[in-house]
Order: sequence, then structure tokens, then C-alpha cells
Amino acid sequence: MEDFFTIDMTYSNYHLIFPKIIIGILIAIGAVLLITNLMKRWKSGTLTHFRFKFFSDNYDKVKFYGTILLLIMYAVTMTWIGFVLSSILFMILITLLYIGNIRKKSIVISITNSLATTIVIWYVFGQLFDITLP
Amino acid sequence: MPFLEVLTPLSIALCFLGVFVGIVMGAIPGMTATMAIAIFLPLTYALDMIDSIGLLIGLYVGGISGGLVPAILLNIPGTPSSLCTTFDGYPMTQKGEGEKALKIGITASIVGGFFSLTVLYFFAPFLSSVAIDFSSVEKFLIIVFALTVIASISKGSLLGGIFSGVLGMLVSLIGTFMDNNQTRMIPPGFEDELVYGFSLLPVLIGLFAIGQLLQEAEEGMKAAAHQKIDLQQGKEKNKFRFAIILKQKVNVVRSALLGTFIGMLPGVGGSAASITAYSQAKNFSKKPEKFGTGEPEGLVASESANNGLIGGALIPLLSLGIPGDSTTAILIGAFLLQGIEVGPLFITSNPDLWSGIVIALVVANIVMFILMFFSIRYFAKIVFIPKYIIFPIIVVACVVGSYAINNGIMFDVWTLLLFGVFGYIFPKIGVQIPSFLIGFILGMQAEKYFIDSLKGSGGDLAIFFTNGPVAIGLWVLILGSVIYAIIDNFKSKNSNQQNAM
Repeated sequence: MEDFFTIDMTYSNYHLIFPKIIIGILIAIGAVLLITNLMKRWKSGTLTHFRFKFFSDNYDKVKFYGTILLLIMYAVTMTWIGFVLSSILFMILITLLYIGNIRKKSIVISITNSLATTIVIWYVFGQLFDITLP
Repeated sequence: MPFLEVLTPLSIALCFLGVFVGIVMGAIPGMTATMAIAIFLPLTYALDMIDSIGLLIGLYVGGISGGLVPAILLNIPGTPSSLCTTFDGYPMTQKGEGEKALKIGITASIVGGFFSLTVLYFFAPFLSSVAIDFSSVEKFLIIVFALTVIASISKGSLLGGIFSGVLGMLVSLIGTFMDNNQTRMIPPGFEDELVYGFSLLPVLIGLFAIGQLLQEAEEGMKAAAHQKIDLQQGKEKNKFRFAIILKQKVNVVRSALLGTFIGMLPGVGGSAASITAYSQAKNFSKKPEKFGTGEPEGLVASESANNGLIGGALIPLLSLGIPGDSTTAILIGAFLLQGIEVGPLFITSNPDLWSGIVIALVVANIVMFILMFFSIRYFAKIVFIPKYIIFPIIVVACVVGSYAINNGIMFDVWTLLLFGVFGYIFPKIGVQIPSFLIGFILGMQAEKYFIDSLKGSGGDLAIFFTNGPVAIGLWVLILGSVIYAIIDNFKSKNSNQQNAM
């Protein structure tokens, strides 16, 4: 950099110029955000009083972590047993998880929902439009 | 008419399908037009551009319009843009005038849609003919302007909004810079997967659909408190007459105009259009005290404004290549998929596509009106589909879409899940998703024009101020929008404090 308003333009460094500026801006804004936040806290006398709550009150642990677990399992099993089987399995399990019980009716609903969706998607995407499926 | 030859029968059929699915998704609370388009985007991969345009425009119009169903029947805006529809729509339902309210909303929607379409048709070619002479300096400044406007509508914190947008830009830069073919910022171990950075589509759907899914899961997938609605009750009172809309003609035009104008401003979302039109209708009304008690006037204002938004939002998209909101941001993705770059040259170099878009909008609006007006009773039932049916379907559709978008790449599915987690975490830590997304979409273009400008000037940054009157004009706009945002931010903070006291 020759001076503040001129940027050194070297061909081999073209790819670094813009990211550097963007990171600079991010740090600057981040710093301002941090300082204003700290000042606000200082004024209201709650500087050391951190109470950041990530989850909402009484969040549904089973459904939340269950969803994350099932999503990961879905992506992993897809490469092993293929799209159709993994989707059917995933949809049955996640529908049951969201209904929240394993009564006969829930099982019927989840299986119907799963089979119908998977077959329709498999047919429309895979067969009709010839789109690659896992 | 050569105009009509542009659309194929398939594209009209797809437009029909798009409107239908759009209405269904818009009617389900929590699903938006944006999500509808994002989920269907992979399907367009197998279609011609003109056919996919029919589908996407149909989804857009249907999705925005469908939002009025739960807004009126359940007091839940189906999409953010039908926020003010609840104010007078729901009280009408409570009075037993649900069906009348729905039909008033639908009629106001189509009028708003056609109004903004006319503005789009005449104004977009003009704007792009001006923009065609822009050099990379002006193009870069337009992107900066778009980013400042996004920040100015950001909820809560102006700086937080800018931070989110810049963060989105940074993430978009991961990968290769095409000018000198060098990679940067790729995390170690992902050199192959991230050579070209994150794919747009999985990022989009992840942030919107999967993020929403995780948030609903956190809240336990609770069913909304639906009550039984009888559309049959109060037959005489419940009857819709076109005279109701005719009486409101000034209101309709004013609201549609406001909606179109607000749609043109990049980043100002649908809820702003609805709120502005509603408050203006109230200001001009002879009986403002009746607003909020089930007055058709307020309903008409909100609905004609939010459909007016569609044509408005397409103006900067098609003439400058700048997405006005998250929905048009996804439309850019659709064009990119087909290898078409949207910008000032778009209309002149793709005349067929341009008329295709216009006609698709006409068709979509008409289909929307016919579908909804005559079968609103059946659409009304959609709001009762439980979430445990909808969300699993959406997940599978998203996964298929992400996987298919680059012809079968598993990493795109992981991208989807990763950005799904981001979409869930971001709102909690104050990063605003729409700003992030628009930054992500515009980031690479911003870099290109920035570097191109500096190449011309040998690295001298003064080029951005000395490149003629247009550049100066753009700086005035940028400064204006920042100043406006600061004042507005200050005002809303003050009023919040007063409310708190």
C-alpha cells in the first residue's frame, strides 16, 4: 500500500485484496458493536452481569436434538442405502418424533406420509425430470 | 400476437401448478413464497428457462397471495407481507364475514398485481437503458447502495444489519477468484469441495427451511391454536360484491403504488409495504377509528400493497441485477442456474425471456385470482394441515434439491445442513438472515467490480468519487439511505423507550 487511498495492484495478489478489506470492515464494525454494547452495560451498571440465553424457556430437548441427530443420520445413510430407503426410514422416524407418541394411529400416519412423499419425489424428480438422486 | 408465442403450453401449465403450490405454501403459516421457490428451484434445472420462469413466477405470485388465508382466518400472517391483513381481516372472520374478507383480499391482490406489473413493464427497460452505460465503478456503488438499504430496514440494530451483510459477503468469497485463478480462505481439508465456494442453493434453503425447522423443533412443533371456522355462517353479511372494491378505488391505487415503490427499494421487505399502505389508508380514511375492527378498507390496503410489491421487486432485479428481497435473491439463483446473468443487459439481450416474465406475471395473477376466488373454501382447509406432516416433506425436498443442483454432490447436502444450523443460530446471536443472504449473493459481484474499477485506476481509490456525475449521484443515495437509517433507528428506539415507560 503506497498511501491510504491507493491499493497495491499485483496480479498474483488480486484474490486477496477484497477479502482483506472485507475482513477489515467486519473487525471494525464488530469492534464498534462490542464497544457500544459494553458502554450500554456500563451505563446501566450491568457490566459483569452476563446472562445470555441461547435456548428458549422449556425448549423441547427431545425434538430438537432428535431432529439434528436424524438429519445427520439421514445424510449418512443416504450414501449407504440409497435415496429411497433412507428417505422412507427418515420420514417415518421424524414424523413419529414430531407427533410425539407411538400409538397405532401415529404409526399409520407416519408410514403413509413417508411412503407417499418418497414415491412422489422419486417419481417426479428421478423419473419424470431425470434429476440425479442420491 | 407474437407476445403470446413466447410462452409454451408447458410453461403455462407449470405456471398454473406454481400458483397452486404457491398458494398452498403461502397459506401454511411459517412457509413463505421464498421457501416455495427455493424448494422448487432444483426442478427448474431440468426445464428450459422459459418453462422454469412460468413455474417460479407462479410460485412467487401464489406464495405472496396465499398468505392472506391464515391472516384472515387465524390471525397468523402466512407470510410477513400479509401482516396488516390480520388487523382487519381477522375481526371480519370473527364477525362471520370470513369468506367476504377472503374475497376482498383476493380481488385487492389482483388489482395490486396488475398495477405493479404495468409499472415494471414500462420502467424496467428505461432503468436498464440508463444502467447499460455504467462502468464497474457505478456497478460497485449500486451494490454498496443495495447493502446500505438492507441495513436500514434491519430490525433492531443498523450496524448489526451491515455486519450481517458484510459477513455474508465474506463467506461468498471463499473459493477461487476467477481473475487470477487463486483460491483463498478455504478451511484446511476442504480444498476439493470448496474450490468454487459454497453453492448458492443449499445455502439459501439451509438458511431458510432447515433453520426454520430447527426453530420449530426447539419449540416442540406445537400446533397453532386453530379454532373451527365456519365459512357458511352469516350468509347475507358474508356475501362479497365487487362494489366493495370499486368504492375503494383510490385506496387500491395508492396502496398498489406504495407497494410497488417499496418493492423497488432493495432489501425493504413485504411487511414494510403492507404496513406503509395500511397506515396511509388509515391517515386518508374518513373513519380511521374503525380500522382494526374489521374494516374492508384496511384489508384492501394491505393486500393490494403486498401484491404490488412483486412487480416492484422485479424492477431492480431485471434492470440492475440487484435482488430487492430474499425471494428475488433466489430468482437470481434460478437465472444463474440457467447460465443467464441478470443485469442492465438482461432485457435487451433476452427479449423473449423478458416478455416471458411479463406474460407469466399476467397469467399467474389471473390464475391466482380464479383459483382462489372460486375455491377459497378448499384452500381455507390448508391452514389445518399439521406441522408434523409438512416439515418432514420439506426436509426431504430440500435434501433432494441440494443434492441435485450440481448433479449429485453429497457435499451440497452437508452444506445444506451446515447452513441450516447457521439459519437457526444466526437470529439468536443477532445476525440477520436476509442481510447475510443478500451479502452472500452480491459478494462475488462486488469483488469483481471493485477489482475491475481499481485495475482501471491503477489502485487509486479516488476513482470511486471522480468517475462522473452518476457515481456522485449514487454516493448521495448511499449517504441518504445511511442517514435515513440512523434517524429512523434513533426514532424507533425513542418510541420503544416511551412505550416501555
